[in-house]
Amino acid sequence: MAANGKKSMLIVLRHSPYGSSLAKAGLDTVLATAAFSQPVDLLLLGDGVLQLQPDQDGHRIGQKNVGRQLSSLPLYDINHVYVDAEAVTRYNVDISRAPVDTRMLDKEELHQLMAGYDHLLGF
Amino acid sequence: MILHTLNAAPSSAAFEDCLSVARSGDAIVLMGDGVYAALSGTRAWEELQSKGAELYLLNSDALALGVMQPTEGGNWIDMDGFVALTERFPRQQAWY
Repeated sequence: MAANGKKSMLIVLRHSPYGSSLAKAGLDTVLATAAFSQPVDLLLLGDGVLQLQPDQDGHRIGQKNVGRQLSSLPLYDINHVYVDAEAVTRYNVDISRAPVDTRMLDKEELHQLMAGYDHLLGF
Repeated sequence: MILHTLNAAPSSAAFEDCLSVARSGDAIVLMGDGVYAALSGTRAWEELQSKGAELYLLNSDALALGVMQPTEGGNWIDMDGFVALTERFPRQQAWY
């Protein structure tokens, strides 16, 4: 998956958006990586799918809206957002109203995806 | 071929997520609270073994936390062994 000799990176977000600072740190890393023109894709795994909740509003608890940050990813040329389909079902996330377009993957596809990158970075 | 480092107890989402992704051909290194998954006779250890991945325990952490038994099916490694694994596996996923 390396393009132009650059190393490909998959950022794996596994935590809910407001329960800790990990989701924000992960998204900041995604944007910083893209800002340096490095190839980066995103995977929301396990509790990470909760970052896609359509009606979230972090401002009510004094935090930036993670959903809005996700919706800005295409502006940074981050066009591949992969999602753990089983977790989406478990939490009944309405993916059709999620802030960003995603591709659902089952467990086998998740492993294949992860094994195709030069670097994995988990948050 | 993914090197998984599991640094969370078996009750955690990190443990479940790691199990859901790990496959035969991968390796899992238990470190920190992750070594509790290697307590012999526990369901956590059975579940780990069922994935078919190579299983390693970081011996300093295991001994510090009182996981003393060389659990069947697990391999003890020290820091040098851990570094060797990172050379053998091209990519690593940290579960914590």
